[in-house]
Amino acid sequence: MPEQLWITALLNHWFAGLANSVLRMLCIHPQYPQAPINNTFAMELLVFALLILFFVLVRASLSVDRPGALQHIVEGAEGFIDNQSDEIIGHGSRGFTPFLMALGLFILLNNLIGLVPGFESPTASPSVTLGCAVLAWVYYQAHGFRHHGIAYLKHFAGPVWWLAPLMIPIEIISHLARMMSLTIRLFANMFAGDMVTLVFFSLVPIGIPVLFLAMHLGVSLLQTYIFVLMTTIYLSGAVAEEH
Amino acid sequence: MRNKKMLFLLLSICCFALPAMAQAGGTVTSSVTANWTVAAACIAMAIASGLCGLGQGRATASAAEALARNPAAGAGIRFALILGLALIESLALYTLVIIFAKVK
Repeated sequence: MPEQLWITALLNHWFAGLANSVLRMLCIHPQYPQAPINNTFAMELLVFALLILFFVLVRASLSVDRPGALQHIVEGAEGFIDNQSDEIIGHGSRGFTPFLMALGLFILLNNLIGLVPGFESPTASPSVTLGCAVLAWVYYQAHGFRHHGIAYLKHFAGPVWWLAPLMIPIEIISHLARMMSLTIRLFANMFAGDMVTLVFFSLVPIGIPVLFLAMHLGVSLLQTYIFVLMTTIYLSGAVAEEH
Repeated sequence: MRNKKMLFLLLSICCFALPAMAQAGGTVTSSVTANWTVAAACIAMAIASGLCGLGQGRATASAAEALARNPAAGAGIRFALILGLALIESLALYTLVIIFAKVK
């Protein structure tokens, strides 16, 4: 029996049968059949439910004449991402805002929920950050193809045609490395924060670990911003117009 | 000349620390030889963190100087600084991830 958070134990108690059937349909055999849902997945489901609740509350309280506090907050966040993508991408950046907002809010809530006692950050597991990174990568490649058609592949050939045999492997590796760097940056920041908090907790149980929790708060916000910023920069590279 | 002396001093101090690994007795090696995996991991992490510190120091110094010369460009400078710091930090974190993946 693995060590479970209370929310994982609750979800396994209710949905273990359903989860086992779904996994069996995909030919995956869980290590502990009485606890097929692990901590990371249970926390992700909780974050998903909280975000849906947040969006529903915002949508229900929208008003043109008398905007409430929630509307101000969401408009502020959306304006921030809008301005940033406009600065970096330029023309046509408005269409990317919903994806960047959703990605940013998902990663932010994933990072911050680790501060609450009894919960852990799903982004401290490399599979979650890999999922976000693959999503961002597929998104910007898809928009590159959508914007340029098949001529998007000319981006990989470099500035002059006779450098193409050298540039194409380098560009492909560099694009794949973007996925790796997005994954590892977020994962390592969250995971190392947890490790360092634990180390100092084992040394000085009172007082000092609070400093590391404060650092985790700052790092969560910064790493979310960096992830969204890097995705915006990759998008600008993909949909850039040659002058 | 003084830099070379400091470098050799540092390297010789590192050599003093290695016999301590012999008592750990890793799962792969015998109880007499040192646990080279842990020693390499410590040295690698130290080098990565040190160079990361140097890089981030240079970035911060340039940003502070640019801000002093042109306070009106604060937003752009702050943006470039945060971006640069996060990218340099991630290089040191790659080393940490390899250590956690490879050192038992």
